Amino acid sequence: MLTGENLVQLVAKLLHQGLGMAGLSGFISIIDPVVCAVVMFGFISVFVMFLVWMERKVSAHMQSRIGPNRVGPLGLLQTVADAIKLTIKEDVKPVNRDKIPYYIAPIIAFVATFAGMIVIPFDKGMVVQNLNIGMLYVIAITSFTVIAILSAGWSSNNKFALLGGFRSAAQIVSYEVPLVMSLVPIIMITGTLSFTGVVEYQEKAGYWLVFPEFLAFLIFITSATAEANRAPFDIPEAESELIGGFHTEYSGVKFAMFFLGEYIAVIVSSAVAVTVFLGGWLPVPFLHFLHIPGFIWFMAKLLLVIYLIMAFRWTFPRLRVDQLMDFGWKVLIPISIINILLTGFCILFFGKGV
Amino acid sequence: MGALGSYFKNIFLGFWNLMIGLSITTKYFFKPTMTQQYPEERLPLPERSRSMIKLIYDGEKDQFNCVACMMCAKACPNNCIKLEGVRQADGKRRMTTFKLDFSTCIFCGYCVEACGFDALTFVSEEYENSVYKRGSLLQDEQAMRWNRPAHLAPPAEEPAETKAAAGAAAGA
Repeated sequence: MLTGENLVQLVAKLLHQGLGMAGLSGFISIIDPVVCAVVMFGFISVFVMFLVWMERKVSAHMQSRIGPNRVGPLGLLQTVADAIKLTIKEDVKPVNRDKIPYYIAPIIAFVATFAGMIVIPFDKGMVVQNLNIGMLYVIAITSFTVIAILSAGWSSNNKFALLGGFRSAAQIVSYEVPLVMSLVPIIMITGTLSFTGVVEYQEKAGYWLVFPEFLAFLIFITSATAEANRAPFDIPEAESELIGGFHTEYSGVKFAMFFLGEYIAVIVSSAVAVTVFLGGWLPVPFLHFLHIPGFIWFMAKLLLVIYLIMAFRWTFPRLRVDQLMDFGWKVLIPISIINILLTGFCILFFGKGV
Repeated sequence: MGALGSYFKNIFLGFWNLMIGLSITTKYFFKPTMTQQYPEERLPLPERSRSMIKLIYDGEKDQFNCVACMMCAKACPNNCIKLEGVRQADGKRRMTTFKLDFSTCIFCGYCVEACGFDALTFVSEEYENSVYKRGSLLQDEQAMRWNRPAHLAPPAEEPAETKAAAGAAAGA
């Protein structure tokens, strides 16, 4: 039966044999990570293109429209056309920009979110690096985007960009707290920080952690949406108030990298939500007999969660800045503290379940 | 209910309202779209919609209904109608040339209202007025000729005798 582990082993075997035939066996330790990075980058780029198309289709159908349908079958090549257009576009730069942060910001925005992907297990054994502090790593590395956004806002030498950067700093700092606190009960239950370990716990326990920790799931999805700067928390780039926010002065490839970074942030947070709450690569209950490979289950759940985040964007109106702060500090954080306490009491009185 | 109770109640109500919104968008997500892909799909317009102005051509008598009374040209606020007519051997006037410049026409419909001889009308199925040259919008009577289908014709007038009889009856 095809599983992610077999697939990875097959590819690794073929690669190592090929390298051995080419007489490059000494470079395996260098080439392996490079291959992983390239495969991951290719997968992410294609998946982001698909997601942009999906977002346009989802929003269109929610508004009784059709959406892109001219380029390619069902408009699938529309984002490819957009990407080509963005790469060959002139790179317009403001004259009085602060040069070094201006260049570094899009790179950080892209790299920081992209680096979060390497600890996500797509299937049993199908993970770039199974860190034993995976959750800590993802939370730490993805919040680097705030540096990118702040430096982009500052270096653009534009008041709207600066305001967007400030708002983003306030927002990400506020929503980092409930994001971490919604993962604390999971760590308490499973006793591990590794994503593979969390999924293995769920396999052993026989239930997904979304059922005992539904509140934590809601808090996580909400604060992940805020972390990714997506509507209804898109005040750093609120089109109607700040033109484009921090990426007002960016064009061409640099703008594309910010755009890519936003979608990768969505993918990473949804992947974390799927792994932690929805059982990762585990099949849906009562569908074990279908023998569908684990990574297909993972992708199906991932698309479902991403659809949910897209539905948020096209349903809810944008919050004001003060409402955003109220919601973060007065609602999400107290509720997540209560959730941690409740989980602790349950573990104390009923045991851990496994 | 104390402050704490209303705090939790507010959170729950807010969550519930967001779920209502999500259910509506999800419902619309699965509904069929209402977009018409215009060049491929065309909606039939209502028969009385204001589209192109046409000259009604009477197939039976092999002539236009227009008698060149100039009422339409006088009613036109933009002076875009130019027409000429001659008196025929039987003493009736007939239109010879009719020119309507659609580049200045505002489709106000005054000419159609002013026409007393059922000669000018709006036609619903022709509404694509884009042309490559401005001059192409100046249409003459041959371009505006339109054979009216029978179901759009006005009801036939009653014969004069019955009308007079009805008038006499009303008078008596």
